[in-house]
Amino acid sequence: MRADAVVKRWGTTPVLAGASFTVGRGVTGLLGANGAGKTTVLGLLLGLHRPDAGTVRVLGGDPWSSGPDVRARIGYAPEYDALPPDVAAADVVRHIAELHGLPRREATGRASDTLWEVGLGEERFRPVGTMSTGQRQRVKLAQAIVHDPDLVLLDEPTNGLDPAQREGMLELIRHVGHELGMDVILSSHLLEEVERVSDAVVILDGGVVVAGGALAELRTSGDELIVEVDGGAEQSERLVDELAATGIAAHTIGPGRLVVTIAEPTMLDVVRDTLAAAGMGVRRLQARTASLEEIYLEAAERGRAPR
Amino acid sequence: MSDARILGTGYRTYSGPRLGPRHAVWTLTRHTFERIMGLRRPARYKVLPILTLVIAYLPAVAFIGAIALVPSRRLGSFIPDPGQYYTFVTAALMLFATLAAPEALCPDKRSHFIGLYLASPLTRTTYLAAKAAAVAGAVVLVTMGPPLLLLAGEAIQNEGPRGFSGFMTMFSQTVAAGAVLAVMFTALALVIPSLTDRRAFASAGGVLVLIGSAAISGILSFGLRLGDGWLLLGLQRLPFELTTRIFDRTGLPTPSRTPLPTLEVAATAAAVTVLAAAITWWRVVRATVTR
Repeated sequence: MRADAVVKRWGTTPVLAGASFTVGRGVTGLLGANGAGKTTVLGLLLGLHRPDAGTVRVLGGDPWSSGPDVRARIGYAPEYDALPPDVAAADVVRHIAELHGLPRREATGRASDTLWEVGLGEERFRPVGTMSTGQRQRVKLAQAIVHDPDLVLLDEPTNGLDPAQREGMLELIRHVGHELGMDVILSSHLLEEVERVSDAVVILDGGVVVAGGALAELRTSGDELIVEVDGGAEQSERLVDELAATGIAAHTIGPGRLVVTIAEPTMLDVVRDTLAAAGMGVRRLQARTASLEEIYLEAAERGRAPR
Repeated sequence: MSDARILGTGYRTYSGPRLGPRHAVWTLTRHTFERIMGLRRPARYKVLPILTLVIAYLPAVAFIGAIALVPSRRLGSFIPDPGQYYTFVTAALMLFATLAAPEALCPDKRSHFIGLYLASPLTRTTYLAAKAAAVAGAVVLVTMGPPLLLLAGEAIQNEGPRGFSGFMTMFSQTVAAGAVLAVMFTALALVIPSLTDRRAFASAGGVLVLIGSAAISGILSFGLRLGDGWLLLGLQRLPFELTTRIFDRTGLPTPSRTPLPTLEVAATAAAVTVLAAAITWWRVVRATVTR
């Protein structure tokens, strides 16, 4: 899935102003504040909107011009409550499976299997309107995966869930993306839940993608090293001085802990040698990783900076 | 001890056939038809369809019974031909069309399920086509079924049109008239539901438009004598004006006792149908799904 310089306006309001990103396998988090354009991106991926400029490719096709064929291979769970309250969950899920091309008999069997998979096996013949919010969210997930799509789009799937339900939903999403073999795009404004289940992220801010890529790569800054030594603050301050003498910048971030800036790979050897020469006990020597929150805030800040 | 084992029956990948967008249209048409007819739904949803079908078919059954029991010379012109039968089903037809059409469109909008439809292989146009086909299919049960039943009953008892060609002529006229009524009433009945997501408002609005247009056109034409042309405003009358022409009759009564010109009737009926369909299509195309 790929978007290149996509522009989309609603009336005179620009929502996407040249967004470019690529989504690979596994679970990808689509992050952004409310109103950042996440749902618009999902609409573009489904071929429900035409980009004002730029191109979108999904599963090898243009979702706008080849909408039905592309959508047949996509599952979608919208943010809002979208299930008919007077219809049994099994009937809703079966109906969606048939709409995506499954013959009736197969659709019936798969609807039942899928509802068991999301933990609603015993409840599958209850009308959706009698279900709790958490159960309805699970029905939405079931209808999104019942036809075994290549790509699943989930728009704020934990909305309205209590902590226990949210935990269960995140576990299901991780299961879908990592064990059932479907690629998932998870749209959310909640950093913590995206961080827990995603392999990659796309961060939207102000209509553009301010950061994107594999989460593991984004979290590793690459040019900073955390060093933790025995001896507390005294030893860490001594190490800062000794590193400074070799031309390496470092600063303490706590008793016995410091962050070393690695401008080039050979500096790692210098740090090792300095530690050995000082005779310090090393507790930890690790590339510094940033939390998703730090990545998000830094990317958003960068995106807002005057260009 | 048996070697039988229970294997996991959870979620599996699907490698069976995928039937494509046409299957999606057919699925939606069938699903909507079932909802309109109250099939696979609690008993309260079946009351209106059953009542309508009883009202529509009962006269035909009674006439067939009368033909079987009473000598035809005594019945005289008491037994209508299929072209005259619509008098008996007008109320049932209007009631059914105005109550069935909201069932097709309103719940999808109210529950936002339309978003899931449009995220499937359906497009907005095929979504509306499937919905219209379902409503038309239900309306055809009233517009075509009873006259055909009456025609078949008469033919079996050697009554009705004379000879095979006479039968075939009447048969094709009945099918054509039933189809014309179904298309017009479907187009008219879908307009109001396309403007609201409340079934009750849509049904009441549909009945009001049909009855209101009948009252206004009647007052202007019969009451104030402003001319026969105003009768074309009567949306409940227009489809039946057209069917009288299909059955080679002159038309419905007018204040001047002169039938309305066929060309004007056909043109007005076509314009009203196209306008109604266009409004409905425009509303569905503009429906917000994701933003």
